Amino acid sequence: MSPKPILQAREIIKKYRIGTQAVSVLNGINLDIYHGEVVSILGKSGCGKTTFLNIAAGLERPTKGDIIIDGHYLNKISEKRMSAFRRKYIGFVFQLYNLIPSMNALENAILPMVFEGVPQKEREEKGRELLTIMGLGDRLKHKPNELSGGQRQRISLARAMINNPRIIFADEPTGNLDSRTTEEILNLLISTVRENGQTLLMVTHDLEVARHGDRIIEMVDGRIIN
Amino acid sequence: MRKRDLLLMANKNLWRRKARTILTCLGVVIGTASIVVMISLGIGLRVSMEKSMAQWGSLNIINVHPGMRYDENGNPTGEEKRMTDETVEELKAIPGVTAVSPVYNIDGEAQLGRKKGYLSIVGIDPAAMEELEFTVSHGRLLTPEDRFAIVAGSQVINNFWDERAARRGGGMMGEGPQQQDPAELLEQRIRLTIRNQAGNERKQNLFVVGILDETNMDRSWQVYGSIHDIKRMRDFMMQGANSSKQMLGPMAKEVIISGGGVMVSTGRASGSRGNRREDRSNDYNSIMVRTKDVAQTKEISKELRERGYNAWSMADSLEGIENTSRTMQAILGGIGGITLFVAALGITNTMIMSIYERTREIGIMKVIGASFADIRSIFLMEAALIGLFGGILGLGLSYGASEIINRISADYIQRGMGGPATNISVIPVWLAGFALVFSIFIGLAAGLYPASRAIRVSPMVAIRNE
Ligand SMILES: Nc1ncnc2c1ncn2[C@@H]1O[C@H](COP(=O)(O)OP(=O)(O)OP(=O)(O)O)[C@@H](O)[C@H]1O
Ligand SMILES: [Mg+2]
Repeated sequence: MSPKPILQAREIIKKYRIGTQAVSVLNGINLDIYHGEVVSILGKSGCGKTTFLNIAAGLERPTKGDIIIDGHYLNKISEKRMSAFRRKYIGFVFQLYNLIPSMNALENAILPMVFEGVPQKEREEKGRELLTIMGLGDRLKHKPNELSGGQRQRISLARAMINNPRIIFADEPTGNLDSRTTEEILNLLISTVRENGQTLLMVTHDLEVARHGDRIIEMVDGRIIN
Repeated sequence: MRKRDLLLMANKNLWRRKARTILTCLGVVIGTASIVVMISLGIGLRVSMEKSMAQWGSLNIINVHPGMRYDENGNPTGEEKRMTDETVEELKAIPGVTAVSPVYNIDGEAQLGRKKGYLSIVGIDPAAMEELEFTVSHGRLLTPEDRFAIVAGSQVINNFWDERAARRGGGMMGEGPQQQDPAELLEQRIRLTIRNQAGNERKQNLFVVGILDETNMDRSWQVYGSIHDIKRMRDFMMQGANSSKQMLGPMAKEVIISGGGVMVSTGRASGSRGNRREDRSNDYNSIMVRTKDVAQTKEISKELRERGYNAWSMADSLEGIENTSRTMQAILGGIGGITLFVAALGITNTMIMSIYERTREIGIMKVIGASFADIRSIFLMEAALIGLFGGILGLGLSYGASEIINRISADYIQRGMGGPATNISVIPVWLAGFALVFSIFIGLAAGLYPASRAIRVSPMVAIRNE
């Protein structure tokens, strides 16, 4: 493990205001994640896992505290430059896949490269290759609604990794899948991350899933307890 | 994001909702078509008016006559502007003037074989004839070497009638002058009879070397000769004038006497008038000026009037027509503008609906690295494409409508006047180009607000969906 963390969370506090009442969701989270690690965040429903992951990935701003990715303070990056930063550092896997329904498997997987400005031929080659690794070589032209949950999540994995970002964030990546498919997807995700030398931060309420990580971080009521 | 990807993506997004896109386009189609057809009517009307004006006389020629400037009370101010060689030089010096010829006019009785007639002869500079837009249908124009040669307007032949034949045919043939072939006059000898003020008579043979074609109707009743020849004939006609001027002397005195109280000033005025009359025997009757184009004609003739000359051109009459046509274009264009404005609102509405439906998609795109510029471009491009498609279809519709209008009006004109039909709706290339650019612009303008809403979508909507 390299001495310098690729992701640091410093005293992260997140409060939501509901009407006149302030709800405190994250109560000072400190966390260091090192390059090449596979980290699981485990906790009960509603404890604030998703909220933390979103803040760590820069999708949401914390009420207080800093997220530092590879030395960059996220709150210092303007919304405009954020897109380029995301393309380089952040891959995101959603629980509900979040594919674009009008695009087929290949188009969905290579969409980040479209925004990167990669020429069509090059990106399609890369997408085909990656989807084949994901076991979808014969489903390239299928629309999401013509595919199973497991197949959709494979496309989503391919999409998160296609730009080779430094950190992959995954929020309950297997939350909607059966146990056998869960096992397949997790193995695929983790092996690809290790192969590419990426870092994975994964959130789950399932201990079996959390065990796939190098390190498990437990969260209760917006605090880390180990 | 690459331009090509942007275009493909926007195009694909549009056709996800075919019916809605087509309906939205329809507004632009109708708006564009109405604007284009309306402008084309304005243009067509102007073109056909200009065409018929041009038949009456050249739009590039200004006829300058002596003139006076008047103050607001209608009293003459300053000296009268005369037609002298200095005037010719002055006119030549005006930028935009391409040719100038001084003009002498004489008229007299004429004999063509057995036929008798009356000629109105205009003496001009033969070298400038071509520049002054004289064109012949038969024969040739004058050259500086010609002596007592003339070029006749196409109607001049109808000035001559055979008295004996008329007496024989009598009223039976009808009184109206018979149309005769202008070419009959070519290479004929016309004998002109002129008289001077002393009562002497002189006959002069004139040889017709060319017949003017029918493009300039204002010249069709006139005969053109070399200014030197005409000057000589004019000098002869003025010969008696000297004695008549001497007679004018005592008459002027009479005026002074009857003027009474204001004797001094009247005396001076009439004295100077007397001097001028002496100088004036060599003054030209008018000066013909050719300008580069219609715009110059209007400008220069206005300028000449300001200088105190009496200037007149066909283009002056055109100006009124142009103003009417311009007003009409503005009104018609305005109606189309309102239609397009409503169409633009339709595009905005469609784009906002589309953003609502695709909020989640926009959020996802942001999470996976789409920039503000990417999102904005996608929606602006979609709006611009709606404009462009509408514009193309609208232009197609305009060509169809224009064709129909022209056919109906041609039918109408032919039945009504029997004249050759001109198109009253004309769509020049610039108008077609303008329509397309404008419809794209409408789309872009209509897409600005929706696009700014799209970039404000938070990436969080991709995650917290309900
Ligand atoms: N936008 C919001 N406004 C107000 N409260 C919110 C908002 N988002 C989350 N919360 C609250 O924050 C708490 C934590 O939510 P979060 O989604 O992080 O939980 P979680 O640990 O991911 O749960 P689960 O395992 O069910 O996904 C919840 O109590 C939720 O009500
Ligand atoms: Mg959650």
